[in-house]
Amino acid sequence: MYSGILSGGISGRTGPHSLPLARIKKIMKRSGEDVKMISGEAPIVFSKACELFIEELTVRAWMVTLQGKRRTLHKEDVMAAVSATDIFDFLVELVSVSNDHATALPSSHDLVFET
Amino acid sequence: MAEAPGSPAGSGGEGSPRSGVREQDRYLPIANISRIMKKALPANGKIAKDAKETVQECVSEFISFITSEASDKCQKEKRKTINGDDLLWAMATLGFEDYIEPLKLYLQKYREMEGDSKATAKGGDGSIRKEAGVLQGGTQLGSSSQGMAQHVSFTQGMNYMHPQFHNGDLSG
Repeated sequence: MYSGILSGGISGRTGPHSLPLARIKKIMKRSGEDVKMISGEAPIVFSKACELFIEELTVRAWMVTLQGKRRTLHKEDVMAAVSATDIFDFLVELVSVSNDHATALPSSHDLVFET
Repeated sequence: MAEAPGSPAGSGGEGSPRSGVREQDRYLPIANISRIMKKALPANGKIAKDAKETVQECVSEFISFITSEASDKCQKEKRKTINGDDLLWAMATLGFEDYIEPLKLYLQKYREMEGDSKATAKGGDGSIRKEAGVLQGGTQLGSSSQGMAQHVSFTQGMNYMHPQFHNGDLSG
């Protein structure tokens, strides 16, 4: 039933997409100085692509969790999935350096991130 | 300590000159990410908060990774606007070719839902039937021919089948 709500679209903020397009666009613009103009369809492509990406990463991490005979997926499982998967190579540095993210996140709002 | 709204952190620089970079500007909402992750797990699977946060970071990195590649392509071709096809090309180039088909389907569905005049105009020939379908909110009409026609017209514009691989700048 949960997924039923999802596929039907979360009304309001995100429309039919499961991720907010405006936020995607912001992140795209942060990718480089040359990124100035983005077609309307680009964030839509990403809303689905990110979903696929999250699913793949999660499933791969979950396999690590299961191998450890556990039922809770932890950061270490995600890290292991990243290092075991070629197409996730671009994340290797991120997951190995980002240990402070978790500790720097006591609540979810209005935090300033420094690295 | 970590919570320093007015602090001159200034780590950001790009994009937001005044404040440091807020979480809202860097990441997709963790609730949405969590929902998608849960959907991918069996019902008895649990997800620790640190795992969600890690995935949250990874998604932003993914967006940047793909966008940069697409942006390079646009620059080489002297185009200013990054479009959906550029992103699909970048994904295919960077190893995510498995995403291409589902993405094309998604775009196609989206265009049908939009009932956008652009989508129908692009379809070209046989547009009468298509227009009728789209105007009625064509998603639930069982006319697969309509879908096929749009699908074909969309794929024609792309050539992911021959991504140009260049290994140089990808290795970290």
